[in-house]
Amino acid sequence: MVDIALGTALAAIGAGIAVGFAGLGSGLGQGMAAAGSVGAVAEDPDMFAQGILFTALPETQAIYGFLIAILLMVFGGILGGETALPVEVGLVAIGAGAAIGFAGLGSGMGQGMAAASSVGAVVEDPDMFSQGILFTALPETQAIYGFLIAILLMVFGGILGA
Amino acid sequence: MADSISAIVTSMGFSSIESFIGLLLLAGFIIGAIVVIVTIKPVFEMFPYAYPNARVRARIGRLITQKQFSEILESENLEEVKNYLRGFPEYSKYVDKYPLEKALDIQMAETHDLIARIAPGGIKDVFRVLLKKWDISNIKTLITAKEAGLNPEKTAELLIPFGEISDVVEKLVEVKSVTEVIIGLEGTEYSQILEDALTDYEEKGMVLPLEAALDKYYLENLLKAVSDPSDANTTLLHPYIGTQVDASNLKIILRAKADGLKYDDISPYMISKGYQIRDWKLKDLMESEDVSGVISALEGTDYSVIMVDALAEYNKTGSIAPFEAALSGYIQKTAKTLSLKKPFGIGPMIGFLSRKEVEIKNLKVIVRGKRESGFPVSVIKEMLI
Repeated sequence: MVDIALGTALAAIGAGIAVGFAGLGSGLGQGMAAAGSVGAVAEDPDMFAQGILFTALPETQAIYGFLIAILLMVFGGILGGETALPVEVGLVAIGAGAAIGFAGLGSGMGQGMAAASSVGAVVEDPDMFSQGILFTALPETQAIYGFLIAILLMVFGGILGA
Repeated sequence: MADSISAIVTSMGFSSIESFIGLLLLAGFIIGAIVVIVTIKPVFEMFPYAYPNARVRARIGRLITQKQFSEILESENLEEVKNYLRGFPEYSKYVDKYPLEKALDIQMAETHDLIARIAPGGIKDVFRVLLKKWDISNIKTLITAKEAGLNPEKTAELLIPFGEISDVVEKLVEVKSVTEVIIGLEGTEYSQILEDALTDYEEKGMVLPLEAALDKYYLENLLKAVSDPSDANTTLLHPYIGTQVDASNLKIILRAKADGLKYDDISPYMISKGYQIRDWKLKDLMESEDVSGVISALEGTDYSVIMVDALAEYNKTGSIAPFEAALSGYIQKTAKTLSLKKPFGIGPMIGFLSRKEVEIKNLKVIVRGKRESGFPVSVIKEMLI
């Protein structure tokens, strides 16, 4: 059995929360946007490019979660390193994972709903494209907040650049 | 730092920091699960509507605008109307294949068929019942055609190729009489209803009892389909369908009272358990002496205000058309209000169906007007909803 320090194990949990919850939100949001886009393309094949664009937007939350998880695994000593994190730093890692995980969950689902609705609006009236993109981009901010806080926690909590 | 955390953990009664972290993770897991369930639940309610609503909104975007209606109104003749409709993908595939009014009916039936196919599970049944309208319309056409002695070719031309029993109906164009049509429908849900009304038809010598029995069956089924709502979306369907049933009852009563008919003549055609007009109110309305009495008896319902406005016009012309127009307007208004209530649910579908029905009705008015050479545009305009 691999010998892992408790702090490192906690960082692994943090990585799981980061990618798991952010991926869940992103997946649900993207699924909803994709369902709307398929409906739009079924009625108007010219909607394919716009549909792809709106469906791709809720992908970002999963990317943020994935990045934080990779950083936690690299700097937490899970991927190749020899760092054994202290318990309190492990707790900080869980905080960083939860920050992007939950923010990504809410942001991804919100963006998915906005994207599905925007696809409907654009297929109804093509002039709605730019407004649709703008409204769909707004729920991205919550994920950015979560991502920033996760990075700050890692920097000042002793995970990055410790 | 680690020592102080250990001291806090020990003072809380935990034997080691590991057991404290274990408990912390368990609490975090439970909180996380609650957050996920609470957050995801509404998304799962919206999810099934994403695809159908996008398709419906695409079609909303292709509905004929006011400006386009004005242009159609300016057409010189039916051929120009046809030409204009060729620019709409929904109509272009039918206008050259069928007579114009039939092409419009087919487009409406196709819309009902589409909604019944793409509607999510919970509301599918209601839209399937709506689609039965075309089976009933075809059966009525068959009955009327056989009563009028039309040949199979002429009868087939009048049928709308949509509905659940369209194959059965197509075969029945060959039969000779109304009774044979009813026998031919054996095995379908309409057989018993028509058999029950057959005696009345034979006694009176007119098809009205058969048509009324079919209409009643259709509306009762619609009401039954929405009477037991399972969620917020199905709950919205009740006022939409219920208002249509109320309007249907009111139109029959007003027509009957304008012709001086009494309670016993009207009651067989009534659909009970409407939306705002419950059974006791329906009885009051049927027992009214005349049209004014019906309008007075409506007090306390939303229909009262709109009908009072139409009463003055009725008193001037003696036609119940203003009441019918007021009721149609009220149905559209109700549908519009409901369509805005659930934008991620059933709302767009209700809004689209209602607007499509108005579009087809208005196009039919224009087609009929343009068929009469020299019919004034201003008169057609007044007849539009």
